[in-house]
Amino acid sequence: MLAYAARRLAVSVALVWVVASLVFLVIHLIPGDPAELLLSQGGIAPDPAAVEELRERLGLNQPLWTQYVAYMGGLLKGDFGLSLQDEHPIADEIALRLPRTLELVGMAGAISVAFGVPLGMVAALRAGGPLDRALSAWASFALSVPVFVVGTLAILVLAQELRLVSAGGYVPFARDPVRHVALLLVPAGTIAFGLGAVVFRVMRSSVLEVLEREHVRAAQARGVSPAAIIRRHVVRNALTPVVTVVALHLGTLLGGTVLVEFVFNWPGLSGYLVRAVEARDYPEVMGIVLVISSLFVLLNFVVDMLYAVIDPRVRHG
Amino acid sequence: MRRIGLRALAVPGLISLAILLVAVAVPLLPLADPVRQDVANRLAGPSAAHWLGQDEYGRDVLSRILWGARVSLSVAFAATAVAAVIGTLLGILGGYFRGVVELATVRVAEIVLCFPPLLLALLVVTLLGPGAGTLIFSLSILFAPGFARVAYGETLSARALDYVTAQEALGAPTGRILVRTLLPNIAAPLIVQFSLTVASAMVLESGLSFLGLGVVPPSPSWGLMIRGARATMEQAPLLLAWPCLALTLTVLLLNLLCDRLRDALDPRGRAAGRPGFLRRVLALPAAAAPGASVPGLLAVEGLTLQVPGPAGPVQVVRDVGFSLAPGETLAIVGESGSGKTLTGLAIMGLLPPAVTPVAGRILFTGRDGSVRDLLRLPEREMRRLRGRDLSMIFQDPSSSLNPLVRIGVQVAESLRAHGVAEGVKGRVVALLRQVGLPDPERQAMAYPHEVSGGQRQRVMIAAAIANHPRLLLADEPTTALDVTVQAQILALLAALKRAEGVMGMVFVTHNLAVVADIADRAVVMYAGEVVEEGPVAELFAAPRHPYTAALIASMPEGEADRLTAIPGAVPQPWAMPAGCRFAPRCAMAMEACGATSPALAEIAPGRATRCLRWKEMA
Repeated sequence: MLAYAARRLAVSVALVWVVASLVFLVIHLIPGDPAELLLSQGGIAPDPAAVEELRERLGLNQPLWTQYVAYMGGLLKGDFGLSLQDEHPIADEIALRLPRTLELVGMAGAISVAFGVPLGMVAALRAGGPLDRALSAWASFALSVPVFVVGTLAILVLAQELRLVSAGGYVPFARDPVRHVALLLVPAGTIAFGLGAVVFRVMRSSVLEVLEREHVRAAQARGVSPAAIIRRHVVRNALTPVVTVVALHLGTLLGGTVLVEFVFNWPGLSGYLVRAVEARDYPEVMGIVLVISSLFVLLNFVVDMLYAVIDPRVRHG
Repeated sequence: MRRIGLRALAVPGLISLAILLVAVAVPLLPLADPVRQDVANRLAGPSAAHWLGQDEYGRDVLSRILWGARVSLSVAFAATAVAAVIGTLLGILGGYFRGVVELATVRVAEIVLCFPPLLLALLVVTLLGPGAGTLIFSLSILFAPGFARVAYGETLSARALDYVTAQEALGAPTGRILVRTLLPNIAAPLIVQFSLTVASAMVLESGLSFLGLGVVPPSPSWGLMIRGARATMEQAPLLLAWPCLALTLTVLLLNLLCDRLRDALDPRGRAAGRPGFLRRVLALPAAAAPGASVPGLLAVEGLTLQVPGPAGPVQVVRDVGFSLAPGETLAIVGESGSGKTLTGLAIMGLLPPAVTPVAGRILFTGRDGSVRDLLRLPEREMRRLRGRDLSMIFQDPSSSLNPLVRIGVQVAESLRAHGVAEGVKGRVVALLRQVGLPDPERQAMAYPHEVSGGQRQRVMIAAAIANHPRLLLADEPTTALDVTVQAQILALLAALKRAEGVMGMVFVTHNLAVVADIADRAVVMYAGEVVEEGPVAELFAAPRHPYTAALIASMPEGEADRLTAIPGAVPQPWAMPAGCRFAPRCAMAMEACGATSPALAEIAPGRATRCLRWKEMA
């Protein structure tokens, strides 16, 4: 198990390095000069002196190789550089906002699993029945509503019409825990609306597939009760694909909360990214993309470890 | 099946087509200018001139919705088309040439999948600035790897097909093979991927536009309209509803189309019926009450099993009967498709949901001496017998053990399910020792993948005999094992039988050599019917049915001078010959064989055959 974990960890670290290099290369190898692009707002040719000054500040005049070493060296020390707009250290801003995004994604994942897994189970056990058909139709619908539509409509209904919650925002947990959770639940629920449907679908088809397996019939032949068969021989076997899909989606969500954070005015990492994109703040964009991609890689590592916990065969693989 | 799939496809297909037509024809429709502002009438409600009202700049909402469809769909289609061409090309090249080409195409494309999609789109927007062109570019980068994966996987399986190999052998130019032969064969999954991608592209496009990073105002786009209507949702909530509705319904429609398309192209993927063990249909007419005088352990009478077929129900097992005395071993012999396994599963009450018993009785004398008809026993009572009075060993021990549960726990289930609560651990170890598992204390803690195939089958046997069953059903228990291991397992079963004394055994196999080793009597099945029955020694010495004779002649260990295979194959259950079912493959067939179906005739006490010419075989 330990050897397996170490091996997977080494691969993950290598992947993060590849991602960091790619992000660096993409920014530096695209045609056009970032400094010039940055300063040319509205199609007016920028002042050459200003461009030169910015190039100097960004270190763009140094050879690519030197820039790369400096960039990687900075990353190792947790230094992502300074924002072009206000010269604020990017690492600080990320450290402030990342936990908020993780909280949102984590809560959304928890809600999705909490209702997707049991409903998928129930639908599979009653496959073809009215409950299954109703749940499946609901899942098709939920999967088709874009997340910003769900969020916008949730605000319209819950905040504007029913006045149940406020239209969005953020209160630190330390200041007001109740309000913090209340403000968290609506955006998390918005994400879980679609994600829960994904979990439901995967769980349903996974359970149906496991029920057909020979070991279920063998357990029946031993006289094991249906409840015990489901508990011991179906649920755990069916969870493997669910873990994969949830993790994949959570990874996608790390960058995909952009829309939800925007709709609910949630001051997470994604809002920061949108602002950076709008301002064409290259160091900021690079830093955020790198952090999110690294988390993505980390998540994949965690999933592999989860597999090993669920399925003893993986540990030896 | 295909026709049903196509009919289901018609509704979403036609609606999609209609939406597409509207989007194409928008410039020709008598609509208000979607960008002309009329600030005096901002947020005006529906009127004769503006059916859906006017937005925050007084622009006509209906016109903007329809023009928005055109913008959204054209971006989504253009991006998907570009992605499809690039992705398919990469996938086919990678899948066809493999090696370095695969690395340079498919694997490179997959790097894109390492990034969260929206993040990547934002990165591209940062570099190129917002606009429809940027959108199409970034979306096609995002979706090309998906196409590459599908095309790659399909190409891998298609290139191994005979006609592709044949074309290569004939020296056809590679380009022509790829375009003319390969592409049409992998088109179906690509079409599904295409409709799936259009839907995803629409969602992403509208999302980016909603953020203000996609389509540039004042062009109408559903995402932009939702963005605009958010600010005024308190005064004019309907403004928000229309684009939300348009977007959701279009995506829903595309997803529906995609699901139906997949079903139509690949009927295998369609949802199966409900799981077997939750439902056991007991739709049989009541049979004569089992008389107390029924001798022996098991008596199967007139068992007939049916499955639904394309042209009405098909009988896969017809009028099968045999009996078994305590302590006796009966072999059921036949090729695959003879119905021998289904007969065994019917005794256990574990038939797959599609198979229904329609006639017959299965009388079983339980431990308490009472006789029950297993075919009509309610599931709850049946469950009490399974694993206690009746046990079963399956063909493939690798799949009949749950890979995620320790061996000892699975053996213990047999005990716990029948009320044993104390000393389970010790009994499990004793059972594992009894079936010859080395170091049973440690092996009980092992997972199935940690022991060999033969040992897994020993574990299955341990679980089966845990409660000293009256009847042990063994369905091809040695088929999946190595020859040397086969002999060990057979020896184990024989030893267990001696130890258990009264335990009867039904041994289902296609291997006559095994029958000679283990069974007292044998029932030979062919195409769902019993064709011959008798004591094993007599059956081998003097077969009275040409099929039995042919089986013996095809035994590698047989006494025949030359190994002869039986020509032809078992007929499919929906295409049974009219007369004797074996006649088309029979060397002795005559005209009468094709006309009448011979009855199973008792030719001596305990011997029966279903052949018109049995006397000539003496």
